[in-house]
Amino acid sequence: MNFFRTLDRLGKIIEDALLFLLLAGMILLATGQIALRNFFATGFVWGDELLRIILLWLALFGAMAASRDDKHINIDLFSRFLPRPLLVWVRSLLDLFTAAVCWIIAWHGLEFVRMEAEFGSRLLGRFPSWWFQSIIPVGFAVIGLRYCIFLLGRLANPPIREKS
Amino acid sequence: MSLAGIPLIVLALLGAPLFTVIAAGAMLGFSLSDVDLSVITIEIYRIAEMPVLVAIPLFTFAGYLLGESRAPSRLVRLTEALLGWLPGGLAVVALGACAFFTAFTGASGVTIIALGALLYPALREAGYDERFNLGLVTTSGSLGLLFAPSLPLILYGIVVQQTNLGAPVSIDDLFLAGIFPGILMLVLLAGWSFWANRGQRKKFTTFSWREIGAALVDSAWELPLPFVVLGGIYSGYFAVSEAAAVTALYVIVIEVLVRREISLTRLPGIMRQSMILVGGILLIVAVSLASTNYMIDAGIPTRLFEWINAHVSSPLTFLILLNIFLLILGALLDIFSALVLVVPLILPVAIGFGIDPVHLGIIFLANMQIGYLTPPVGLNLFIASYRFNKPISEVYRSAFPFLLALALSVGIITYWPKLSLFLIR
Repeated sequence: MNFFRTLDRLGKIIEDALLFLLLAGMILLATGQIALRNFFATGFVWGDELLRIILLWLALFGAMAASRDDKHINIDLFSRFLPRPLLVWVRSLLDLFTAAVCWIIAWHGLEFVRMEAEFGSRLLGRFPSWWFQSIIPVGFAVIGLRYCIFLLGRLANPPIREKS
Repeated sequence: MSLAGIPLIVLALLGAPLFTVIAAGAMLGFSLSDVDLSVITIEIYRIAEMPVLVAIPLFTFAGYLLGESRAPSRLVRLTEALLGWLPGGLAVVALGACAFFTAFTGASGVTIIALGALLYPALREAGYDERFNLGLVTTSGSLGLLFAPSLPLILYGIVVQQTNLGAPVSIDDLFLAGIFPGILMLVLLAGWSFWANRGQRKKFTTFSWREIGAALVDSAWELPLPFVVLGGIYSGYFAVSEAAAVTALYVIVIEVLVRREISLTRLPGIMRQSMILVGGILLIVAVSLASTNYMIDAGIPTRLFEWINAHVSSPLTFLILLNIFLLILGALLDIFSALVLVVPLILPVAIGFGIDPVHLGIIFLANMQIGYLTPPVGLNLFIASYRFNKPISEVYRSAFPFLLALALSVGIITYWPKLSLFLIR
Protein backbone atom coordinates (compact mmCIF):
# COMPACT_ATOMS: atom_id res chain seq x y z
CA MET A 1 0.00 0.00 0.00
CA ASN A 2 2.90 2.32 0.83
CA PHE A 3 4.22 1.89 -2.67
CA PHE A 4 0.95 3.12 -4.14
CA ARG A 5 0.85 6.06 -1.78
CA THR A 6 4.33 7.11 -2.89
CA LEU A 7 3.29 6.69 -6.49
CA ASP A 8 0.22 8.82 -5.86
CA ARG A 9 2.27 11.57 -4.23
CA LEU A 10 4.80 11.46 -7.07
CA GLY A 11 1.97 11.78 -9.56
CA LYS A 12 0.66 14.89 -7.84
CA ILE A 13 4.11 16.48 -7.81
CA ILE A 14 4.50 15.84 -11.54
CA GLU A 15 1.01 17.22 -12.20
CA ASP A 16 1.72 20.36 -10.18
CA ALA A 17 5.11 20.93 -11.78
CA LEU A 18 3.72 20.53 -15.28
CA LEU A 19 0.72 22.77 -14.59
CA PHE A 20 3.12 25.41 -13.30
CA LEU A 21 5.48 25.14 -16.27
CA LEU A 22 2.69 25.12 -18.83
CA LEU A 23 0.80 28.07 -17.36
CA ALA A 24 3.93 30.13 -16.72
CA GLY A 25 5.13 29.31 -20.22
CA MET A 26 1.79 30.32 -21.69
CA ILE A 27 1.82 33.69 -19.89
CA LEU A 28 5.41 34.50 -20.86
CA LEU A 29 5.04 33.39 -24.47
CA ALA A 30 1.76 35.24 -25.01
CA THR A 31 2.94 38.49 -23.44
CA GLY A 32 6.29 38.14 -25.19
CA GLN A 33 4.49 37.92 -28.54
CA ILE A 34 2.59 41.14 -27.81
CA ALA A 35 5.75 42.98 -26.81
CA LEU A 36 7.63 41.79 -29.86
CA ARG A 37 4.80 42.71 -32.20
CA ASN A 38 4.01 46.13 -30.79
CA PHE A 39 7.51 47.33 -30.00
CA PHE A 40 9.72 45.52 -32.48
CA ALA A 41 7.25 44.64 -35.26
CA THR A 42 8.38 41.02 -35.13
CA GLY A 43 7.42 37.79 -33.36
CA PHE A 44 8.05 34.07 -33.05
CA VAL A 45 6.80 32.33 -36.19
CA TRP A 46 5.75 29.28 -34.17
CA GLY A 47 4.46 31.29 -31.20
CA ASP A 48 0.73 30.98 -31.83
CA GLU A 49 0.98 27.31 -32.69
CA LEU A 50 2.92 26.60 -29.51
CA LEU A 51 0.36 28.53 -27.44
CA ARG A 52 -2.42 26.33 -28.76
CA ILE A 53 -0.44 23.18 -27.99
CA ILE A 54 0.19 24.44 -24.46
CA LEU A 55 -3.56 25.03 -24.13
CA LEU A 56 -4.29 21.41 -25.11
CA TRP A 57 -1.80 20.17 -22.54
CA LEU A 58 -3.10 22.51 -19.84
CA ALA A 59 -6.64 21.32 -20.52
CA LEU A 60 -5.69 17.67 -20.13
CA PHE A 61 -3.44 18.14 -17.13
CA GLY A 62 -6.10 20.31 -15.52
CA ALA A 63 -8.61 17.56 -16.23
CA MET A 64 -6.29 14.98 -14.69
CA ALA A 65 -5.90 17.17 -11.61
CA ALA A 66 -9.69 17.58 -11.46
CA SER A 67 -10.22 13.83 -11.53
CA ARG A 68 -7.71 13.36 -8.72
CA ASP A 69 -10.04 15.34 -6.45
CA ASP A 70 -13.18 14.07 -8.25
CA LYS A 71 -13.99 17.67 -9.12
CA HIS A 72 -15.38 17.28 -12.60
CA ILE A 73 -18.42 19.36 -13.42
CA ASN A 74 -21.57 17.32 -12.81
CA ILE A 75 -25.19 17.61 -11.82
CA ASP A 76 -25.36 16.70 -8.18
CA LEU A 77 -29.09 16.34 -7.86
CA PHE A 78 -30.00 13.09 -6.16
CA SER A 79 -26.99 12.11 -4.10
CA ARG A 80 -28.32 14.12 -1.16
CA PHE A 81 -31.53 12.14 -1.10
CA LEU A 82 -30.24 8.63 -1.75
CA PRO A 83 -29.82 6.37 1.27
CA ARG A 84 -26.21 5.61 2.11
CA PRO A 85 -25.95 1.95 0.99
CA LEU A 86 -27.64 2.71 -2.33
CA LEU A 87 -25.39 5.73 -2.82
CA VAL A 88 -22.30 3.52 -2.67
CA TRP A 89 -23.67 1.37 -5.48
CA VAL A 90 -24.73 4.35 -7.56
CA ARG A 91 -21.32 5.96 -7.16
CA SER A 92 -19.63 2.68 -8.08
CA LEU A 93 -21.72 2.49 -11.22
CA LEU A 94 -20.80 6.07 -12.13
CA ASP A 95 -17.09 5.38 -11.57
CA LEU A 96 -17.32 2.35 -13.82
CA PHE A 97 -19.13 4.35 -16.50
CA THR A 98 -16.63 7.21 -16.30
CA ALA A 99 -13.64 4.88 -16.49
CA ALA A 100 -15.15 3.03 -19.45
CA VAL A 101 -15.89 6.20 -21.43
CA CYS A 102 -12.41 7.58 -20.75
CA TRP A 103 -10.76 4.37 -21.87
CA ILE A 104 -12.81 4.20 -25.05
CA ILE A 105 -11.68 7.75 -25.84
CA ALA A 106 -8.09 6.87 -24.92
CA TRP A 107 -8.23 3.83 -27.22
CA HIS A 108 -9.44 5.88 -30.17
CA GLY A 109 -6.95 8.57 -29.24
CA LEU A 110 -4.18 6.01 -29.51
CA GLU A 111 -5.44 5.09 -32.97
CA PHE A 112 -5.49 8.77 -33.96
CA VAL A 113 -1.94 9.29 -32.70
CA ARG A 114 -0.75 6.16 -34.52
CA MET A 115 -2.25 7.39 -37.76
CA GLU A 116 -0.67 10.81 -37.35
CA ALA A 117 2.70 9.16 -36.71
CA GLU A 118 2.33 7.07 -39.85
CA PHE A 119 1.25 10.07 -41.83
CA GLY A 120 4.34 11.91 -40.59
CA SER A 121 2.64 15.27 -39.98
CA ARG A 122 4.71 17.88 -38.18
CA LEU A 123 4.12 20.75 -35.79
CA LEU A 124 6.21 23.82 -35.02
CA GLY A 125 8.04 23.31 -38.30
CA ARG A 126 9.90 20.13 -37.58
CA PHE A 127 8.57 18.08 -34.64
CA PRO A 128 6.37 15.03 -35.25
CA SER A 129 2.87 16.10 -34.32
CA TRP A 130 2.11 12.85 -32.52
CA TRP A 131 4.52 13.87 -29.77
CA PHE A 132 2.15 16.63 -28.78
CA GLN A 133 -1.07 14.79 -29.55
CA SER A 134 -0.24 11.76 -27.43
CA ILE A 135 -1.37 13.77 -24.41
CA ILE A 136 -4.96 13.00 -25.47
CA PRO A 137 -4.80 9.20 -25.04
CA VAL A 138 -2.46 9.53 -22.06
CA GLY A 139 -4.71 12.05 -20.32
CA PHE A 140 -7.91 10.08 -20.80
CA ALA A 141 -6.20 6.83 -19.80
CA VAL A 142 -5.02 8.44 -16.56
CA ILE A 143 -8.47 9.86 -15.80
CA GLY A 144 -10.01 6.44 -16.49
CA LEU A 145 -7.43 4.80 -14.24
CA ARG A 146 -8.22 7.22 -11.45
CA TYR A 147 -11.94 6.45 -11.54
CA CYS A 148 -11.04 2.77 -11.57
CA ILE A 149 -9.05 3.32 -8.37
CA PHE A 150 -12.04 5.17 -6.88
CA LEU A 151 -14.20 2.18 -7.76
CA LEU A 152 -11.83 -0.35 -6.20
CA GLY A 153 -11.47 1.78 -3.08
CA ARG A 154 -15.23 2.04 -2.77
CA LEU A 155 -15.81 -1.66 -3.19
CA ALA A 156 -13.03 -2.59 -0.77
CA ASN A 157 -14.04 -0.04 1.83
CA PRO A 158 -17.56 1.29 1.15
CA PRO A 159 -17.88 4.59 3.04
CA ILE A 160 -14.72 6.11 1.52
CA ARG A 161 -14.47 9.47 -0.24
CA GLU A 162 -17.63 11.28 0.65
CA LYS A 163 -18.23 14.31 -1.50
CA SER A 164 -18.62 17.51 0.44
CA MET B 1 -30.89 7.52 -30.50
CA SER B 2 -33.63 9.06 -28.41
CA LEU B 3 -34.21 5.78 -26.57
CA ALA B 4 -30.51 5.20 -26.07
CA GLY B 5 -30.24 8.72 -24.68
CA ILE B 6 -32.45 8.00 -21.66
CA PRO B 7 -29.89 5.96 -19.66
CA LEU B 8 -27.38 8.73 -20.35
CA ILE B 9 -29.72 11.36 -18.96
CA VAL B 10 -30.27 9.20 -15.88
CA LEU B 11 -26.51 8.83 -15.42
CA ALA B 12 -26.11 12.60 -15.76
CA LEU B 13 -28.81 13.27 -13.18
CA LEU B 14 -27.23 10.76 -10.81
CA GLY B 15 -24.02 12.80 -10.94
CA ALA B 16 -21.77 11.29 -13.63
CA PRO B 17 -19.13 13.79 -14.81
CA LEU B 18 -20.86 15.70 -17.60
CA PHE B 19 -17.98 15.35 -20.01
CA THR B 20 -18.36 11.58 -19.99
CA VAL B 21 -22.11 11.82 -20.57
CA ILE B 22 -21.62 14.20 -23.51
CA ALA B 23 -18.80 12.08 -24.94
CA ALA B 24 -20.83 8.90 -24.58
CA GLY B 25 -23.78 10.54 -26.31
CA ALA B 26 -21.63 11.70 -29.20
CA MET B 27 -19.94 8.32 -29.58
CA LEU B 28 -23.28 6.54 -29.43
CA GLY B 29 -24.65 8.81 -32.12
CA PHE B 30 -21.61 8.40 -34.34
CA SER B 31 -21.55 4.62 -34.03
CA LEU B 32 -25.28 4.38 -34.80
CA SER B 33 -24.66 6.31 -38.00
CA ASP B 34 -21.59 4.19 -38.82
CA VAL B 35 -19.01 6.92 -38.37
CA ASP B 36 -15.61 5.72 -37.21
CA LEU B 37 -15.16 6.65 -33.55
CA SER B 38 -11.68 8.08 -34.02
CA VAL B 39 -13.62 11.19 -34.98
CA ILE B 40 -14.02 11.88 -31.25
CA THR B 41 -10.27 12.44 -30.89
CA ILE B 42 -10.19 14.61 -33.96
CA GLU B 43 -12.90 16.77 -32.39
CA ILE B 44 -11.14 16.91 -29.02
CA TYR B 45 -7.95 17.92 -30.79
CA ARG B 46 -9.82 20.88 -32.27
CA ILE B 47 -9.46 22.75 -28.98
CA ALA B 48 -5.84 23.13 -30.05
CA GLU B 49 -7.06 24.96 -33.14
CA MET B 50 -8.97 27.73 -31.41
CA PRO B 51 -6.58 30.53 -30.41
CA VAL B 52 -9.18 32.42 -28.37
CA LEU B 53 -9.53 29.52 -25.89
CA VAL B 54 -6.16 30.57 -24.49
CA ALA B 55 -8.07 33.36 -22.73
CA ILE B 56 -9.85 30.87 -20.47
CA PRO B 57 -6.92 29.57 -18.38
CA LEU B 58 -5.31 33.02 -18.25
CA PHE B 59 -8.35 34.96 -17.01
CA THR B 60 -9.30 32.18 -14.60
CA PHE B 61 -5.84 32.13 -13.08
CA ALA B 62 -5.75 35.93 -12.79
CA GLY B 63 -9.13 35.83 -11.02
CA TYR B 64 -8.03 33.15 -8.56
CA LEU B 65 -4.83 35.05 -7.83
CA LEU B 66 -6.76 38.27 -7.16
CA GLY B 67 -9.08 36.33 -4.89
CA GLU B 68 -6.16 35.02 -2.85
CA SER B 69 -4.58 38.45 -2.44
CA ARG B 70 -5.98 41.28 -0.34
CA ALA B 71 -7.41 42.93 -3.44
CA PRO B 72 -11.00 42.07 -2.35
CA SER B 73 -10.66 44.02 0.91
CA ARG B 74 -9.12 46.99 -0.92
CA LEU B 75 -11.99 46.90 -3.37
CA VAL B 76 -14.52 46.90 -0.52
CA ARG B 77 -12.69 49.79 1.16
CA LEU B 78 -12.82 51.85 -2.01
CA THR B 79 -16.51 51.25 -2.71
CA GLU B 80 -17.27 51.90 0.96
CA ALA B 81 -15.53 55.26 0.77
CA LEU B 82 -17.43 56.13 -2.39
CA LEU B 83 -20.90 54.85 -1.42
CA GLY B 84 -20.91 53.85 2.24
CA TRP B 85 -22.13 57.25 3.44
CA LEU B 86 -25.50 56.83 1.68
CA PRO B 87 -28.24 55.47 3.93
CA GLY B 88 -28.48 51.83 2.93
CA GLY B 89 -25.38 52.38 0.87
CA LEU B 90 -23.39 49.45 2.16
CA ALA B 91 -25.69 47.08 0.28
CA VAL B 92 -24.85 48.94 -2.91
CA VAL B 93 -21.18 48.68 -1.99
CA ALA B 94 -21.57 44.93 -1.83
CA LEU B 95 -23.31 44.78 -5.21
CA GLY B 96 -20.79 47.01 -6.97
CA ALA B 97 -17.70 45.35 -5.54
CA CYS B 98 -19.02 41.87 -6.31
CA ALA B 99 -19.96 42.75 -9.88
CA PHE B 100 -16.52 44.18 -10.54
CA PHE B 101 -14.82 41.18 -9.01
CA THR B 102 -16.98 38.54 -10.69
CA ALA B 103 -16.24 39.97 -14.11
CA PHE B 104 -12.67 38.82 -13.51
CA THR B 105 -13.32 35.58 -11.68
CA GLY B 106 -16.00 34.36 -14.08
CA ALA B 107 -18.78 33.55 -11.62
CA SER B 108 -17.13 30.37 -10.48
CA GLY B 109 -18.10 30.84 -6.87
CA VAL B 110 -14.86 32.62 -6.02
CA THR B 111 -16.71 35.87 -5.38
CA ILE B 112 -18.80 34.57 -2.50
CA ILE B 113 -15.77 33.05 -0.88
CA ALA B 114 -13.43 36.02 -1.38
CA LEU B 115 -15.79 38.98 -0.99
CA GLY B 116 -18.72 37.46 0.89
CA ALA B 117 -16.47 36.74 3.82
CA LEU B 118 -15.68 40.46 4.06
CA LEU B 119 -19.11 41.85 3.30
CA TYR B 120 -21.28 39.53 5.34
CA PRO B 121 -19.87 40.56 8.74
CA ALA B 122 -19.66 44.21 7.66
CA LEU B 123 -23.33 44.22 6.68
CA ARG B 124 -24.34 42.60 9.96
CA GLU B 125 -22.32 45.12 11.94
CA ALA B 126 -24.01 47.93 10.05
CA GLY B 127 -27.34 46.62 11.33
CA TYR B 128 -28.78 45.08 8.19
CA ASP B 129 -31.30 42.31 8.63
CA GLU B 130 -29.68 38.88 8.74
CA ARG B 131 -31.86 37.42 6.03
CA PHE B 132 -31.28 40.40 3.74
CA ASN B 133 -27.50 40.03 4.16
CA LEU B 134 -27.50 36.39 3.30
CA GLY B 135 -29.63 36.97 0.21
CA LEU B 136 -27.51 39.88 -0.91
CA VAL B 137 -24.20 38.08 -0.58
CA THR B 138 -25.58 34.94 -2.27
CA THR B 139 -26.94 36.94 -5.19
CA SER B 140 -23.80 38.99 -5.59
CA GLY B 141 -21.78 35.87 -6.29
CA SER B 142 -22.87 35.72 -9.90
CA LEU B 143 -23.47 39.40 -10.49
CA GLY B 144 -21.08 40.77 -13.06
CA LEU B 145 -21.45 37.81 -15.37
CA LEU B 146 -22.36 40.21 -18.14
CA PHE B 147 -19.31 42.43 -17.69
CA ALA B 148 -16.11 41.94 -19.64
CA PRO B 149 -13.98 39.88 -19.45
CA SER B 150 -16.25 37.28 -17.86
CA LEU B 151 -15.60 33.70 -18.88
CA PRO B 152 -19.17 32.83 -19.91
CA LEU B 153 -19.26 35.80 -22.33
CA ILE B 154 -16.04 34.61 -23.94
CA LEU B 155 -17.27 31.03 -24.09
CA TYR B 156 -20.53 32.07 -25.75
CA GLY B 157 -18.55 33.88 -28.45
CA ILE B 158 -16.38 30.81 -29.01
CA VAL B 159 -19.37 28.48 -29.27
CA VAL B 160 -21.11 30.74 -31.79
CA GLN B 161 -17.97 31.00 -33.90
CA GLN B 162 -17.72 27.22 -33.85
CA THR B 163 -21.23 26.63 -35.12
CA ASN B 164 -20.22 28.29 -38.38
CA LEU B 165 -23.54 29.87 -39.17
CA GLY B 166 -21.92 32.95 -40.56
CA ALA B 167 -23.46 34.83 -37.66
CA PRO B 168 -21.38 37.95 -37.06
CA VAL B 169 -20.52 37.59 -33.38
CA SER B 170 -17.21 38.76 -32.05
CA ILE B 171 -16.22 38.58 -28.41
CA ASP B 172 -15.46 42.31 -28.53
CA ASP B 173 -19.11 42.92 -29.47
CA LEU B 174 -20.33 40.70 -26.65
CA PHE B 175 -18.23 42.65 -24.16
CA LEU B 176 -19.90 45.88 -25.27
CA ALA B 177 -23.37 44.33 -25.40
CA GLY B 178 -23.14 43.17 -21.78
CA ILE B 179 -22.47 46.59 -20.30
CA PHE B 180 -25.97 48.09 -20.13
CA PRO B 181 -27.86 44.89 -19.30
CA GLY B 182 -25.32 44.36 -16.51
CA ILE B 183 -25.86 47.88 -15.24
CA LEU B 184 -29.62 47.33 -15.38
CA MET B 185 -29.28 44.32 -13.10
CA LEU B 186 -27.16 46.34 -10.69
CA VAL B 187 -29.65 49.21 -10.65
CA LEU B 188 -32.66 46.95 -10.01
CA LEU B 189 -30.89 45.06 -7.25
CA ALA B 190 -29.69 48.31 -5.69
CA GLY B 191 -33.24 49.65 -5.91
CA TRP B 192 -34.56 46.63 -4.06
CA SER B 193 -31.79 46.99 -1.46
CA PHE B 194 -32.71 50.63 -0.79
CA TRP B 195 -36.41 49.74 -0.62
CA ALA B 196 -35.86 46.78 1.71
CA ASN B 197 -33.81 48.96 4.04
CA ARG B 198 -35.87 52.12 3.81
CA GLY B 199 -36.29 52.08 7.60
CA GLN B 200 -32.54 51.94 8.01
CA ARG B 201 -31.20 55.42 8.45
CA LYS B 202 -27.87 54.61 10.01
CA LYS B 203 -24.95 55.58 7.87
CA PHE B 204 -22.08 53.18 7.77
CA THR B 205 -19.34 55.70 7.12
CA THR B 206 -19.27 59.45 6.80
CA PHE B 207 -18.41 60.97 3.49
CA SER B 208 -14.77 61.99 3.40
CA TRP B 209 -12.61 63.10 0.51
CA ARG B 210 -9.61 62.10 2.54
CA GLU B 211 -10.82 58.49 2.87
CA ILE B 212 -11.70 58.35 -0.82
CA GLY B 213 -8.22 59.55 -1.67
CA ALA B 214 -6.59 57.07 0.68
CA ALA B 215 -8.69 54.20 -0.67
CA LEU B 216 -7.84 55.20 -4.23
CA VAL B 217 -4.13 55.17 -3.44
CA ASP B 218 -4.61 51.84 -1.68
CA SER B 219 -6.14 50.27 -4.80
CA ALA B 220 -3.93 52.14 -7.24
CA TRP B 221 -2.38 48.97 -8.63
CA GLU B 222 -5.62 47.06 -9.22
CA LEU B 223 -7.72 49.94 -10.58
CA PRO B 224 -6.08 50.03 -14.03
CA LEU B 225 -7.03 46.39 -14.70
CA PRO B 226 -10.38 46.95 -16.46
CA PHE B 227 -8.80 49.73 -18.50
CA VAL B 228 -5.88 47.52 -19.47
CA VAL B 229 -8.25 44.78 -20.60
CA LEU B 230 -10.90 46.84 -22.38
CA GLY B 231 -8.60 49.62 -23.50
CA GLY B 232 -6.13 47.16 -24.96
CA ILE B 233 -8.82 45.29 -26.86
CA TYR B 234 -10.71 48.29 -28.25
CA SER B 235 -7.64 50.28 -29.17
CA GLY B 236 -6.52 47.30 -31.20
CA TYR B 237 -3.29 46.71 -29.31
CA PHE B 238 -4.21 43.16 -28.52
CA ALA B 239 -6.78 40.41 -29.02
CA VAL B 240 -8.96 38.98 -26.24
CA SER B 241 -6.58 36.10 -25.55
CA GLU B 242 -3.67 38.52 -25.38
CA ALA B 243 -5.56 40.79 -23.00
CA ALA B 244 -5.90 37.70 -20.81
CA ALA B 245 -2.14 37.11 -20.92
CA VAL B 246 -1.42 40.73 -20.03
CA THR B 247 -3.91 40.54 -17.15
CA ALA B 248 -2.34 37.36 -15.80
CA LEU B 249 1.18 38.74 -15.98
CA TYR B 250 0.10 42.07 -14.49
CA VAL B 251 -1.67 40.41 -11.55
CA ILE B 252 1.36 38.20 -10.85
CA VAL B 253 3.71 41.18 -10.92
CA ILE B 254 1.46 43.26 -8.65
CA GLU B 255 0.38 40.72 -6.06
CA VAL B 256 3.54 38.61 -5.93
CA LEU B 257 6.39 40.99 -6.69
CA VAL B 258 5.15 44.50 -5.84
CA ARG B 259 2.75 43.98 -2.95
CA ARG B 260 4.19 40.63 -1.90
CA GLU B 261 0.86 39.46 -0.56
CA ILE B 262 1.25 36.07 -2.19
CA SER B 263 4.56 34.29 -1.81
CA LEU B 264 6.13 32.59 -4.81
CA THR B 265 5.74 29.23 -3.10
CA ARG B 266 1.96 29.61 -3.04
CA LEU B 267 1.76 30.17 -6.80
CA PRO B 268 1.79 26.49 -7.83
CA GLY B 269 -1.08 25.73 -5.45
CA ILE B 270 -3.19 28.59 -6.79
CA MET B 271 -2.36 27.56 -10.34
CA ARG B 272 -3.48 24.02 -9.58
CA GLN B 273 -6.77 25.22 -8.06
CA SER B 274 -7.56 27.39 -11.06
CA MET B 275 -6.48 24.80 -13.61
CA ILE B 276 -8.79 22.20 -12.06
CA LEU B 277 -11.69 24.43 -13.04
CA VAL B 278 -10.15 25.16 -16.44
CA GLY B 279 -9.51 21.48 -17.13
CA GLY B 280 -13.11 20.71 -16.25
CA ILE B 281 -14.47 23.44 -18.53
CA LEU B 282 -12.18 22.71 -21.47
CA LEU B 283 -12.89 18.99 -21.33
CA ILE B 284 -16.59 19.75 -21.65
CA VAL B 285 -15.88 22.18 -24.50
CA ALA B 286 -13.78 19.50 -26.23
CA VAL B 287 -16.31 16.67 -26.09
CA SER B 288 -19.18 19.01 -26.89
CA LEU B 289 -17.44 19.88 -30.17
CA ALA B 290 -17.98 16.22 -31.03
CA SER B 291 -21.59 16.10 -29.85
CA THR B 292 -22.41 19.34 -31.68
CA ASN B 293 -20.85 17.97 -34.83
CA TYR B 294 -22.99 14.86 -34.50
CA MET B 295 -26.16 16.87 -33.91
CA ILE B 296 -25.52 19.04 -36.94
CA ASP B 297 -24.74 15.97 -39.10
CA ALA B 298 -27.97 14.41 -37.95
CA GLY B 299 -29.83 17.61 -38.80
CA ILE B 300 -31.17 18.05 -35.28
CA PRO B 301 -31.02 21.89 -35.22
CA THR B 302 -32.92 22.03 -38.53
CA ARG B 303 -35.58 19.62 -37.31
CA LEU B 304 -35.86 21.51 -34.04
CA PHE B 305 -36.31 24.73 -35.98
CA GLU B 306 -38.99 23.22 -38.23
CA TRP B 307 -40.83 21.79 -35.25
CA ILE B 308 -40.76 25.05 -33.33
CA ASN B 309 -41.65 27.01 -36.44
CA ALA B 310 -44.70 24.83 -36.92
CA HIS B 311 -45.94 25.50 -33.40
CA VAL B 312 -44.69 28.99 -32.65
CA SER B 313 -45.45 31.82 -34.98
CA SER B 314 -44.24 35.05 -33.43
CA PRO B 315 -40.77 35.95 -32.20
CA LEU B 316 -42.38 37.17 -28.99
CA THR B 317 -43.86 33.76 -28.17
CA PHE B 318 -40.52 32.22 -29.02
CA LEU B 319 -38.75 34.54 -26.59
CA ILE B 320 -41.21 33.74 -23.80
CA LEU B 321 -40.70 30.02 -24.38
CA LEU B 322 -36.95 30.57 -24.55
CA ASN B 323 -36.98 32.30 -21.17
CA ILE B 324 -38.92 29.49 -19.55
CA PHE B 325 -36.67 26.87 -21.12
CA LEU B 326 -33.48 28.67 -20.08
CA LEU B 327 -34.68 29.13 -16.51
CA ILE B 328 -35.26 25.38 -16.20
CA LEU B 329 -31.95 24.69 -17.92
CA GLY B 330 -30.12 27.07 -15.59
CA ALA B 331 -31.59 25.31 -12.57
CA LEU B 332 -30.21 22.00 -13.77
CA LEU B 333 -26.96 22.65 -15.60
CA ASP B 334 -23.96 24.78 -14.78
CA ILE B 335 -23.43 27.73 -17.08
CA PHE B 336 -20.48 26.28 -19.00
CA SER B 337 -22.11 22.98 -19.90
CA ALA B 338 -25.36 24.73 -20.75
CA LEU B 339 -23.50 27.06 -23.11
CA VAL B 340 -21.65 24.43 -25.08
CA LEU B 341 -24.56 22.00 -25.27
CA VAL B 342 -27.56 24.20 -25.89
CA VAL B 343 -26.33 27.26 -27.78
CA PRO B 344 -25.57 25.29 -30.99
CA LEU B 345 -29.15 24.00 -30.90
CA ILE B 346 -31.06 27.19 -30.20
CA LEU B 347 -28.87 29.60 -32.16
CA PRO B 348 -30.19 28.62 -35.61
CA VAL B 349 -33.75 28.72 -34.26
CA ALA B 350 -33.25 32.14 -32.74
CA ILE B 351 -31.68 33.49 -35.93
CA GLY B 352 -34.67 32.08 -37.82
CA PHE B 353 -36.91 34.21 -35.61
CA GLY B 354 -34.79 37.24 -36.38
CA ILE B 355 -33.08 37.47 -33.00
CA ASP B 356 -29.61 38.95 -33.08
CA PRO B 357 -27.02 36.36 -31.99
CA VAL B 358 -25.33 38.91 -29.73
CA HIS B 359 -28.66 39.65 -28.05
CA LEU B 360 -29.30 35.93 -27.72
CA GLY B 361 -26.02 35.60 -25.85
CA ILE B 362 -26.97 38.27 -23.35
CA ILE B 363 -30.43 36.71 -22.88
CA PHE B 364 -28.84 33.32 -22.39
CA LEU B 365 -26.36 34.46 -19.76
CA ALA B 366 -28.86 36.64 -17.92
CA ASN B 367 -31.20 33.66 -17.60
CA MET B 368 -28.35 31.42 -16.51
CA GLN B 369 -27.46 33.92 -13.81
CA ILE B 370 -30.83 33.27 -12.20
CA GLY B 371 -29.99 29.58 -12.39
CA TYR B 372 -27.24 30.20 -9.83
CA LEU B 373 -29.97 31.00 -7.31
CA THR B 374 -32.57 28.37 -8.05
CA PRO B 375 -32.79 24.93 -6.49
CA PRO B 376 -32.06 22.11 -6.98
CA VAL B 377 -28.53 22.79 -8.21
CA GLY B 378 -27.98 26.55 -7.89
CA LEU B 379 -24.26 26.82 -7.26
CA ASN B 380 -24.41 30.04 -5.22
CA LEU B 381 -26.97 28.58 -2.83
CA PHE B 382 -24.61 25.77 -1.94
CA ILE B 383 -21.50 27.90 -1.67
CA ALA B 384 -23.28 30.41 0.55
CA SER B 385 -24.81 27.67 2.67
CA TYR B 386 -21.40 26.09 3.11
CA ARG B 387 -19.51 29.34 3.62
CA PHE B 388 -21.91 30.96 6.10
CA ASN B 389 -23.04 27.77 7.73
CA LYS B 390 -26.76 28.18 7.02
CA PRO B 391 -29.26 25.57 5.91
CA ILE B 392 -29.84 25.62 2.19
CA SER B 393 -33.57 26.31 2.56
CA GLU B 394 -32.83 29.47 4.53
CA VAL B 395 -30.34 30.64 1.91
CA TYR B 396 -32.91 30.01 -0.78
CA ARG B 397 -35.67 31.94 1.00
CA SER B 398 -33.36 34.87 1.65
CA ALA B 399 -32.21 35.01 -1.97
CA PHE B 400 -35.76 34.89 -3.31
CA PRO B 401 -36.55 38.65 -3.40
CA PHE B 402 -33.27 39.24 -5.19
CA LEU B 403 -34.17 36.50 -7.62
CA LEU B 404 -37.37 38.38 -8.41
CA ALA B 405 -35.41 41.58 -9.11
CA LEU B 406 -33.13 39.59 -11.42
CA ALA B 407 -36.14 38.04 -13.14
CA LEU B 408 -37.52 41.50 -13.83
CA SER B 409 -34.22 42.57 -15.36
CA VAL B 410 -34.09 39.39 -17.46
CA GLY B 411 -37.54 40.29 -18.78
CA ILE B 412 -36.41 43.77 -19.74
CA ILE B 413 -33.18 42.46 -21.29
CA THR B 414 -35.09 39.89 -23.34
CA TYR B 415 -37.83 42.11 -24.74
CA TRP B 416 -35.77 45.25 -25.26
CA PRO B 417 -32.99 44.21 -27.67
CA LYS B 418 -31.74 47.78 -28.08
CA LEU B 419 -30.46 47.76 -24.51
CA SER B 420 -27.91 45.14 -25.51
CA LEU B 421 -27.32 46.18 -29.07
CA PHE B 422 -27.21 49.94 -29.34
CA LEU B 423 -23.47 50.13 -28.71
CA ILE B 424 -22.63 47.78 -31.55
CA ARG B 425 -25.29 47.76 -34.26
